[in-house]
Amino acid sequence: MFTNNENAARRIRAQRSSSALWIAMTALLATFAATGSLLTTTQLARAETATTATVELSGLVRPNDMNSGALLFPSKELGYFVEAPRLKTDVQIDVSGPIARVKVTQRFQNPSKGWVEGTYVFPLPDDSAVDELRMQIGDRFIEGQIKPREEARQIYEDAKADGKKAALLEQQRPNIFTNQVANIGPGETIVVQIEYQQAVHQSGGEFSLRFPMVVAPRYNPAPIVQSVEFNGGTGFAVTNDPVENRDKIEPPVLDPEKNAKINPVSLTVNLKAGFPLGEVKSPFHDVTLTEPDAQTRLIALKASAVPADRDFELTWKAAAGKTPTAGLFRETVAGRDYLMAFVTPPATQQDNAAPAKREVVFVIDNSGSMSGPSIEQARASLALAISNLKAGDRFNVIRFDDTMTDFFQGLVPASADNRERAIAYVRGLTADGGTEMLPALQAALRNQGPVAQGALRQVVFLTDGAIGNEGQLFGEIDGNRGDARVFTVGIGSAPNTHFMTKAAEFGRGTFTHIGSEDQVAARMGELFGKLEHPAMTDIAATFDQAKADNITPNPMPDLYAGEPVVLTAELPQASSAGKLLITGRTGDQPWRVEMSIDQAAARKGIAKLWARRKIDDLEASGYRVNDPQAIDRQIEAVAMTHHLVSRVTSLVAVDVTATRPKNEPLTDADVPLNLPEGWDFEKVYGEQKPILPSPTGDRDASLPAGTLQQVAMETAEMMAAAPTAKTASLLAKRSVGVNLPQTATPADRHILIGLMMMLIALAAVFWLRLRRASIFRRG
Amino acid sequence: MAMPQTEGRPMLLGRLDRFETLIAATAAVIGLCGLFFAGHGFYIKAKAQLAQVLLARSFAAELAGEGPSRPWPWADFTTAARISAPRIGHSAIVLAGANGETLAFGPAWLATTPQPGDEGTAVIAAHRDTHFSWLKDVRPGDRIDVERADGRTMSFVAGQGRVSRWDENGIDIAAHGKHLALATCWPFDSTERGPLRYILDARLVEPEKAAAGLPAS
Repeated sequence: MFTNNENAARRIRAQRSSSALWIAMTALLATFAATGSLLTTTQLARAETATTATVELSGLVRPNDMNSGALLFPSKELGYFVEAPRLKTDVQIDVSGPIARVKVTQRFQNPSKGWVEGTYVFPLPDDSAVDELRMQIGDRFIEGQIKPREEARQIYEDAKADGKKAALLEQQRPNIFTNQVANIGPGETIVVQIEYQQAVHQSGGEFSLRFPMVVAPRYNPAPIVQSVEFNGGTGFAVTNDPVENRDKIEPPVLDPEKNAKINPVSLTVNLKAGFPLGEVKSPFHDVTLTEPDAQTRLIALKASAVPADRDFELTWKAAAGKTPTAGLFRETVAGRDYLMAFVTPPATQQDNAAPAKREVVFVIDNSGSMSGPSIEQARASLALAISNLKAGDRFNVIRFDDTMTDFFQGLVPASADNRERAIAYVRGLTADGGTEMLPALQAALRNQGPVAQGALRQVVFLTDGAIGNEGQLFGEIDGNRGDARVFTVGIGSAPNTHFMTKAAEFGRGTFTHIGSEDQVAARMGELFGKLEHPAMTDIAATFDQAKADNITPNPMPDLYAGEPVVLTAELPQASSAGKLLITGRTGDQPWRVEMSIDQAAARKGIAKLWARRKIDDLEASGYRVNDPQAIDRQIEAVAMTHHLVSRVTSLVAVDVTATRPKNEPLTDADVPLNLPEGWDFEKVYGEQKPILPSPTGDRDASLPAGTLQQVAMETAEMMAAAPTAKTASLLAKRSVGVNLPQTATPADRHILIGLMMMLIALAAVFWLRLRRASIFRRG
Repeated sequence: MAMPQTEGRPMLLGRLDRFETLIAATAAVIGLCGLFFAGHGFYIKAKAQLAQVLLARSFAAELAGEGPSRPWPWADFTTAARISAPRIGHSAIVLAGANGETLAFGPAWLATTPQPGDEGTAVIAAHRDTHFSWLKDVRPGDRIDVERADGRTMSFVAGQGRVSRWDENGIDIAAHGKHLALATCWPFDSTERGPLRYILDARLVEPEKAAAGLPAS
């Protein structure tokens, strides 16, 4: 009886445990199912974002999104543009001593069957003086004339309305220009050539030059072109349906490999340094170097490897012991002499003196635009800077996105403990959110307490400068800086150098650019040198005997170790003799240098360089002076005299000949063209018919014909082209389609999944309890 | 047999064997994940509702003539209008520019389209599970009011709803007449994101007619 009972109980227990096992198995299975469904969700979501992203990139853009030169055609989407297939770009840089002259030639095609107005948007270095615009449309050549901005716009609009070909080159930001081309015929090819010059940058005995060719990430709210029927009898209709299964077509513009191939860039630098050259480097691109003589180098990009995803940079140094410490150049234009001088002050005499105590406020941008390698570089740079502080220094760290954190709430001594805490904090920063720079800047400039006796107050600003309220920020730096010096560190492959250079100028500090992880140590080291060595201040230039009307920059910025004074000046009359006197002080020690003007070597382009810097000075004074019109007039006068594009002047070109009758067939590719004197578009004529597969030739010329054709086709699909030249301008303004945004949140899905998972967990816990209970009962 | 019973109720985590520990740990992880997911879902909904309160304040300030203001300091958008469906008693503040951010906080007016009440078709889109959850309840003939930032109230009369792909929606923003299109995702109670949209077309009731028709309705 007892045993029977026991047996029965055992059986029941066995049954129970087996049912418990079943529950366990079910729970496990459910877990797998949940995980599986989760994975698919994320994959789906990812796939969805990926599709949107590709469509955006291959599709429509806005002028502000462009960071490399591109001709934009109006698309069927209002306010958006389509990138014209770029057939070839040639960049020719001539460096002559301290000046670089750059000629950018690009060839585009209107792939559609209609007439369009194209907008060519291109970034340039922020100190570039743009003075030439030439264009070839089909078989016509147009050269730009400088005009006040409004007048130029009017001339252009009139020509456009008349159906004439016209071009208008305007400055949007000091480093962003747009060039509009009206009435481009179907299938026509356009060649655009722009020339500008800039001063070679030098610091610490190293000379450098940047050429922007970056396509920055574009923030577009998912526009795709769709099929839309015109109604209301506008006289023309777009018959093209959207490309079927567009998302399955591999977007050629997105793939960097193909990008480089369909937008081949050839770049050559003719470097005439004017002194025996040492090391010449291109840190981001593979180049071939030839060495005609000790002072000259010919540099060309290796054709096969041109990722157009970062700026081209070239740096060079003089041969050991040959680094020039001073230079004086002149140019005579229209009866006036223009001077350019640079002097590198001798290495500071204060090396043996005790270094001044420093009070450093680090400001780091961790907004969304910094995410990825940028924030990593910023973190590494900042950690390095903090660990580099001396025991007697004081410091603070401020981070900002759309919120900000003042980490120490005021300056603290740079003790090992504080430094470690700050570094740990910085290492933990992630990039997210908007960019509200002003409060952080205010906190750094205003809220850090008074400067201690004999200390140097320095604000080090790490950012990519992706902001739009530059004027406000300049005003803040200019007005509330006090004794502080503001140093900007540009992070990422394409920072807003205009903002950062200017901010450093207003803050009497310097701008350092860090483009990649392996530049962090070297560039930051350079910056530390500047931070630790007292700046050379109170720099002034005067002309003995000769009177200088205008010396730029005005006021002279402070100098840091290794930096030269670079000034340009306009002299009242030509062939003036006399001496240029530059004075300054390093700490308590005065410094002066004299140069005879008649010793100056002739160089082309100095007048334009002066004009450009004069315009910069005038623009800068605009943040202080309350008479914008007076400044505009002054800028206009300088820009008109020197044929420069500026905020208030534009280059405009109008074709005098009547537009080709619309029924006449186009023959541009078949007719050999005679180039006028001085026009060298040959470089971009490597391939007359790029759409046909070229049998031989170098890798540049052998474009993947299919891909290019596809790009041309896709572009044509997305373009809003008009049947006649006149309607093209109408169409540029008018478009009818609209796409609807994604209007489902993952909220319900997440709640559902979440509840399901919690249920599973509960079930498992319940089963565990059951199991424990049965085990306990079993004894 | 008597011993375990005197020990009282079994402890849940006391002396688990390896298998049980594994199950317990898995359950804990799944439970936490679930909590996170559900929390995220509810967070989206709460954000959408809470934001509307702040937006209403900001829009009132804008109507009072203080110019376009940002509802909160880090907001990257401004308020554009108030949309309401009087019959079913729903309203929401419409933001300018449709992107992921604006749509999380309210219905968004597509900035590439004309203003509601101007010539052409204005498009306002919102999430089907938050701000436009009531769109399915709007019947043909219902009045839809849009109070613009300039203080003018435009009355539209709803037409038939339709379903189409997001990129082939047949909306002509340059159409003749003054139209309004309200868009949200379709199907309404799906949890998947999809290409289909529910579009409710409405056309403007001319002001004098609206004024005449108001007392009657």
